[in-house]
Amino acid sequence: MSKAGDPKDWLNDHGDYLYRFAMSRVHNEDLASDMLQDTLLAAWKGHENFKGQSSVRTWLVGILKHKIIDHIRAEIRARNLAEAVEHDPTSAFFDSDGRWNEAPRAWKENPEDLCNSEEFHTVLETCIKTLPEKQQLVFRMRDLIGEDTETVCKACDITSTHLHVLLHRARLALRKCLECEWFERGHKP
Amino acid sequence: MNYACKEASKLASDSLDRRLSLRERLKLKIHMLMCGKCKNSNKTMELIRNTAALISQSRSGEIRLTDEQRESLRKALEEKRDNE
Repeated sequence: MSKAGDPKDWLNDHGDYLYRFAMSRVHNEDLASDMLQDTLLAAWKGHENFKGQSSVRTWLVGILKHKIIDHIRAEIRARNLAEAVEHDPTSAFFDSDGRWNEAPRAWKENPEDLCNSEEFHTVLETCIKTLPEKQQLVFRMRDLIGEDTETVCKACDITSTHLHVLLHRARLALRKCLECEWFERGHKP
Repeated sequence: MNYACKEASKLASDSLDRRLSLRERLKLKIHMLMCGKCKNSNKTMELIRNTAALISQSRSGEIRLTDEQRESLRKALEEKRDNE
């Protein structure tokens, strides 16, 4: 047997972990399950090449990551998700001299309390959905999932400079939206 | 510091994704010392990011394969193995 062990065990030992990994990125049970299957089959096909330099789990996650990136790339191509760089939505937040039009408020909340509030989850999700699709995608990958910037750039086929621009836009717009939806509805600190 | 709030907010956002140059770090730091608005904005961006990460962690903890999914995966794997 190769160093990767028995493929039967992969499903038992790593199935939930890999499925969770896929679900956090594609948010679709069937798709995540298909990806898991593709990953396990690809691993089985290539298990002779597994040299044991990393753990089996790391090796499997590596294969799964490629499948996810391919999927996201295809999705972006199919739906032609583009965002013009020329039009700068962040200018709405600043005057022509680069000063804030509206002063950002100070938040007193902490991540733990906000995380425990179902209502905040809903508001956050609503606000994320108001962003242009490409901003949503990079924000989810980077700030929700914590994917490294290289992976996000590869999946979205953009330069790191472009990624930073999109993230800045997304974060500014989200902060504004959350201020309106959360604070101005009586959630004062 | 006219141009600065817009630029500072971009630098603050960038700092969450890349290592700023020494020059950029200084610029940002000095601006943040003088500008309460940018400080607020920056803190909120970090708060949103930390909260988003926590939420995503807490959600994914509950996700498991269903018995049905597990069974169909097991079959697919076995088929493949038998064919080789």
